[in-house]
Amino acid sequence: MGRLVLRRLGSTVPVLLLVTAGVFLLLHLTPGDPIDVMMAESVDVTVKENLRRELGLDRPLYVQYATWMGRLLKADLGRSIRNGEPVIENVSRRLRPSLELALCAMAISLMIAFPLGIVCAVRRNTPIDRAGATFAVVGICMPNFLLALLLIFLFGVTLRWLPISGYTDPLDEPWNGLRSLALPAVTLGLALAAVVTRTLRSSLLEALAEDYVRTARAKGLSEWRVIWSHALKNALIPVVTVLGLQLGTLIGGAVITEYVFALPGVGRLVVDAVFARDYPLVQGVVLLIAVGFIVSNLIVDVLYGWIDPRIRSR
Amino acid sequence: MTLDVKLGIKPGLAESWQQPDAKTVVFKLRRGVKFHDGTDFNAEAARFNFNRMKTEPKSVRKGEVASIDSVDVVDASTIKLNLKRPDAALLATLTDRAGMMVSPKVVQERGSELERNAKGAGTGPFEFVEWVKDDHILIKRNESYWNKQGGPYLDRIRYRPIPDDTVKLQSLQTGEIDVMDYVQPRDVAAVKADRNVVVVDVPSLADFAYQLNHMRPPFATRALRQAVALSLDLDQIVKGVWLNVGVPANGPIPPTSWAYDKSIPPIKRDLARARAKLAEGGQPNGFTFTMTTNNIPINVQEAEVIQAQLREAGITMKIKLADSATLIADGNNKNFEMISYQWSGRPDPDGNTYQFYKTTQGTSLNWSGISHPQIDALLDRTREVSSQAERRKLFSDLTKLLQEELPMVFIIHPIEPKAFSPKVQGYEPIPDGMMRFKDVWLQ
Amino acid sequence: MAGSIRGSDLAEHAASLERPASPLRARRWNVVRRAARARLAPFGAAVMLVAVLVALTAPLLAPYDPLAQNLGNTLARPGRAHLLGTDSVGRDVLSRVIWGTRVSLLAGLVAVAIAVIAGSLFGIVAGYCGGRIDGLVMRLMDAVLSFPPLVLALALGAVLGAGLVGVLIALGVVYTPTFARLMRGQVLAIIARDFVEAARALGAPGWRIAWRHVVPNAINPIIVQASLSVAFAILAEAALSFLGLGIQPPQASWGSMINAGRGYLQQAPWIVFGPGAALFVTVVGLNFVGDAVRDALDPRTRG
Repeated sequence: MGRLVLRRLGSTVPVLLLVTAGVFLLLHLTPGDPIDVMMAESVDVTVKENLRRELGLDRPLYVQYATWMGRLLKADLGRSIRNGEPVIENVSRRLRPSLELALCAMAISLMIAFPLGIVCAVRRNTPIDRAGATFAVVGICMPNFLLALLLIFLFGVTLRWLPISGYTDPLDEPWNGLRSLALPAVTLGLALAAVVTRTLRSSLLEALAEDYVRTARAKGLSEWRVIWSHALKNALIPVVTVLGLQLGTLIGGAVITEYVFALPGVGRLVVDAVFARDYPLVQGVVLLIAVGFIVSNLIVDVLYGWIDPRIRSR
Repeated sequence: MTLDVKLGIKPGLAESWQQPDAKTVVFKLRRGVKFHDGTDFNAEAARFNFNRMKTEPKSVRKGEVASIDSVDVVDASTIKLNLKRPDAALLATLTDRAGMMVSPKVVQERGSELERNAKGAGTGPFEFVEWVKDDHILIKRNESYWNKQGGPYLDRIRYRPIPDDTVKLQSLQTGEIDVMDYVQPRDVAAVKADRNVVVVDVPSLADFAYQLNHMRPPFATRALRQAVALSLDLDQIVKGVWLNVGVPANGPIPPTSWAYDKSIPPIKRDLARARAKLAEGGQPNGFTFTMTTNNIPINVQEAEVIQAQLREAGITMKIKLADSATLIADGNNKNFEMISYQWSGRPDPDGNTYQFYKTTQGTSLNWSGISHPQIDALLDRTREVSSQAERRKLFSDLTKLLQEELPMVFIIHPIEPKAFSPKVQGYEPIPDGMMRFKDVWLQ
Repeated sequence: MAGSIRGSDLAEHAASLERPASPLRARRWNVVRRAARARLAPFGAAVMLVAVLVALTAPLLAPYDPLAQNLGNTLARPGRAHLLGTDSVGRDVLSRVIWGTRVSLLAGLVAVAIAVIAGSLFGIVAGYCGGRIDGLVMRLMDAVLSFPPLVLALALGAVLGAGLVGVLIALGVVYTPTFARLMRGQVLAIIARDFVEAARALGAPGWRIAWRHVVPNAINPIIVQASLSVAFAILAEAALSFLGLGIQPPQASWGSMINAGRGYLQQAPWIVFGPGAALFVTVVGLNFVGDAVRDALDPRTRG
């Protein structure tokens, strides 16, 4: 067990090296540089050159890369070129809205998927089950930008029940905050719900077919009791892992949702940074996302290996 | 100084000014004005600001105050600007960012932090409270504002950046926000019909155009540039794409400016002449080129309409969409054939012309690379001469020449419709694009 | 999850959890699944057929020239003259949706083709060479996988220049690791088999072994994965053109049409929901087909 973890950790170092080199190279190959973007309406060439020199942008690429890597080893992600603040601060400021959105989306997906998944498993092969399967496919195939527009059209334009822009922190103002997150959370949550429903249904079916369940049934326990006390617990494990893996994607990847609903999240941060050629910010965020992805994968694999010795990898 | 609705220059921090000769400006500064941090605004502070603009390595205002050689403090409330050369545009420039004074004490104490925290730095009717990046900027009323006539009435103002136009509009309609800085042309009709919203059409100083690269084919050939200009139907573009939220442009100077010459019409479409120009330019059967434009819906639409219009003249245009950084890089490196350029405009016509058409080496805003001695002469003269009537004549000549030489193809002078909740009263729109809330109050 | 580019990973994960452990249960499962899918697979096949036909016959099928503007008749409601109305410059939405089918299908197929070819090459090399090279290649694939796909696509799009090509290459790169892993797994499994040992003992050169033995056996899972990936590639292309990358105007892809129509949601929702419906139906159909292909070919689920 421990050896597995160490080996995996060891292999992440070259991966991260490749990621840093990749993002650095890619960014510096894109046309334009951050100074041009920041000072678009100004002509002063000397000012631009001064700024570039101050930021080290005039040095050869390998020097810049080495400088960045050197700082990285001291756990310094550098400063954003656009606003001069440390990258870490930029990210942490945006992390809260993204995290809250992700959690709300997961909550919504569970609220839908939990009852639906159980019902589909229990009443399998009936019209309800087929409806559930159809819902699952619809959820996975619906483009989230389309869903976002649909929700805006229904709830924003026609019904006007919920705010369709901006972000209020639920930790500051619970009611308004949740309302501001409602539509984006539903957008993300519906697709997630589709997958979770399928996962829950199949894992529940598997758990229900196990021997100990049959024993419990034989003992005379009611069906509900059987499901609730015995099967569900084991069935939830794959669900939790799916949700856990999705957390990373939701935080860094809900760009379109963040744009359409004007939420100040991490996804929008990195995309705006790419457009502004804010090299340190993009590099830093990509690195953090990559680390997050690797770590969450590792945790999931370790958990799986711990829970089910049968599927421990070689 | 400040601007009034008709773009006239009015006293602000400077109470009065005189020009004893063409290269000197003496400002009498208002007395009793304090910065938001409590320190006095006086001649010393003003000089500090001008020097900072000129010498600070990261100063973006350097170009605007380039004509100032030195600033003398005559007495506590009088300063004298010694200019390197006559600059008729300077006064108008000082109604804009270059004329905004910050507290020397704040600058010295806060250094580069000032970029993010401007507490106590200004002198205006509202003072800075906080800036939460990408979420909002908050300002509050300055209780000790020097101008006791009228406002400021509002307690606080919050600025929120909302990147999506539809979301912005809907926020206004649902009452989440009170003021919207720009209504997209496609929404204007609907918003004007909405009784919960008040729309104010603010004619702007902007000019939207496309720069043509004079340094490489095909547009190194003047006849071909003229062929393109003659194939465009500006009326159709302004009506079909911009939905008449703006007027066809005859040149870089907008109708809101005193220098605008309405006797010069925008170039009218004439396919026969266009084809003659094609032949004159050596491409009787048309030619192909690429237009680079920004990846914004209305730009894309305009490009598609232009593409269709040019096709009727036999000219084939390809569209290349680019993000801002790429667009700017291409423009600065002259790596384009025809490229979109939308200039927000300046109060003095010099700001809409000089840096774009004067012969300049190296990187500059003269993306087209135009170098025409007569244009250069006209531009220099407009800066030397101080009589507005004379300058107006010069700018008219310039406009006519620009229509011939075509460093840019001008499309539209847009109107900036601003939308308000009916609660908002007292707003006076000034075409320079800045929204001033001093005399605004809520019903 | 649709809209995020690696939707295929998630669906695969979910699908993999549906595979039961014991063969007895497998049989029961397949009855269940086949029954549930019995009605869906023909629907999927029908959708795909229609999509391909529409794409092929676009010039004949479209009632109007998709590029023909008519500034006097913009944002017209759907009606007899224009079944799906007109857009902001007066072009017929239906014709543009029809022509957009070509772009979307092509994007899906080409992106996946790039990924299959590149991924397979990487996978074969990694699996066959083993050792350090295997380690290096797999680390590279992991690096690509942990890179946020949208950033990758944006940056590649800026580097390669605007246009469909940039997007296709970016998508190809994003999906490559999936196929690389798949191919590598196949190679490892097959190399272990005896006949390969025998062939090697007889002196057959490496590439021939790869060609003759590895590829035919690997094709099935690759096809299964590819057919699932096409649907997601189409979605991803739509998402990227929604963000402004990809196909250059005045051509249209469904994603760019939705993006262009976004500002007109209140006045002319058909500009968004016309291509939106087409996108959704096509992807759903392809998904069903992908599932059906997997049912048919995947040895583990075979009854």
